[in-house]
Amino acid sequence: MKVDIQSLETFNQLAREGAEQATASMTQMTGIEADVDVTKMSLVDRADLGEELGDGEFVGVQFDYEGELAGETVLLFGRDCSESLVAALLGDVGDEAMAKSGVKEIGNIMMSGFIDGWADYLGTSIDHSPPTYIEGTGSAVLPNGAADDDGDHVFVFKSRIEWVDESVEFYIYMLPEYDPLTSLMADHVDTEDDAIPVDKLEVFNEMTRSGTEKAAENVTMMTGIETAAEVSQISFVPITDVPKQVSNETYVGTVVEFTGLPSGYLMVLFDEVSAKNIAEAMMPIDVDSDELTDKHESAIEELGNIMTSGFVDGWANVLQSSVDHTPPRLVHDMGQAIIDPLAAQVGRQQEHAFIVDSTMRTNDLEFEAEIHALPNEQELREALDELLVDRADETEADPEQIFQG
Amino acid sequence: MKVYDGQTDSDTESEPEQIKIGIAEYDVTENGAVLTTSGLGSCIGVALHDETIPVSGLVHVMLPSADEVEDGNKAKFADTGVETLIETLEESGGDRSNMVAKIAGGSDMLDFSESGSGIGQRNVEQVKATLSEHGIPVVGEDVGGNHGRSIKLKGSSGKLIVKSANRDRQTL
Repeated sequence: MKVDIQSLETFNQLAREGAEQATASMTQMTGIEADVDVTKMSLVDRADLGEELGDGEFVGVQFDYEGELAGETVLLFGRDCSESLVAALLGDVGDEAMAKSGVKEIGNIMMSGFIDGWADYLGTSIDHSPPTYIEGTGSAVLPNGAADDDGDHVFVFKSRIEWVDESVEFYIYMLPEYDPLTSLMADHVDTEDDAIPVDKLEVFNEMTRSGTEKAAENVTMMTGIETAAEVSQISFVPITDVPKQVSNETYVGTVVEFTGLPSGYLMVLFDEVSAKNIAEAMMPIDVDSDELTDKHESAIEELGNIMTSGFVDGWANVLQSSVDHTPPRLVHDMGQAIIDPLAAQVGRQQEHAFIVDSTMRTNDLEFEAEIHALPNEQELREALDELLVDRADETEADPEQIFQG
Repeated sequence: MKVYDGQTDSDTESEPEQIKIGIAEYDVTENGAVLTTSGLGSCIGVALHDETIPVSGLVHVMLPSADEVEDGNKAKFADTGVETLIETLEESGGDRSNMVAKIAGGSDMLDFSESGSGIGQRNVEQVKATLSEHGIPVVGEDVGGNHGRSIKLKGSSGKLIVKSANRDRQTL
């Protein structure tokens, strides 16, 4: 089954419009101004679903829907956020039952528009269930997909909505069942030219995970600290949303341009605390400084280099092509400002971009690293096209083998 | 596009409203709201202010020229983005002959191009060329270099506050 860039763009746009409509309904009801910050469509390993929710407390509503598109959709508010929303709608409610029904009411009105928007576009009807109130911690609050859906990967439409006055976010997840969604996307293919085989996109996603694992191994090797790959996903976003994939905190890390098939950019980013911790783990002597010194930065540069190599080798092995990269450039700046010039570069050729996001963590100390890759869209498509299916099968059977050495 | 007309909050003395401008977006305020945009690398934030009304606007542009790429979003490009902002300020009562501009961004960080000037520098040149075509003077700028910036435009005064990760903030 193939999907084309056009249909990915359309579905992405649909999700964005739905999220905007839902946000507008909320503003109308509560008088609270909010903006849709980012909407993305991601292919995610089922086990990684909802990773970005961390261990926050969430409440929200869930709907099941069926028709040409079937699955679940969820609207989540941080618990504090929901309390403010309910207060804006109903005044102060001491009663928990009232608060729940407030959340349900807000959720119902917001999401009805969201689902109807999809039905309108698809020219079909989508029936949805009444809202169910849900609450929980982190990713556990999300439904884990239909039981008969046996794939490891799920397409997720995620919107993060920011409340203008306060830094509170809420999320809309749309989790369509895999088969109806992909066949629907395949129906919307109007040119074969830019079609992407969905199964190869999955393989690519898995390879990215293996690349991240390889990069994490390299960190372990260099620092002696056991580091694990956490999440990897490939998302499809408008080019102007690319910089929003990272926060605007200050990061330290490295950036390379890679050439070959595909070409693009790869960033390895550490928040400042992680950078300091991991750099000191690599240093032979104790450092008596609260600041990041030149020594820290050169340790990060070295680490960025070896992580990049691990990651890129992973791709090259699977794609059976050579991927070279420039020497790493050290960056120490606002996250979004780091990625912005790279998005501008690829934005000269394309309006949307695939972006690959991975993170790794360790339990031993406060440490988190993010890897983001921004491949040229057309070249990625070509590379996937050339990816032999038997090769893909082989890797599926034993991804370890490819990443040895 | 939203134009805030100041009808709702004009008699309260609370903190001015904050409006976030994303990449390839713009907005205009007539009621002294604070317009912010963050994470400017090679992108540029162009702030226009007409003191006589007063009315202020901010656009966050990404690429130099709309001629290079087929894309309907005018605010994405330096040339069409600046023009769109001028027009929107005029719709809100401003006049280009009274407008002044302040610009920030256009860094050449992470410019991997082997030859020619990078996107940051070309963005700066295009923004200035378009402003000059419309006779709008640049009265403050913090551009180029190899670091990122976040900016805040105070709609009431036209003051532009520029923040960088490793530098002191400055007011243009």
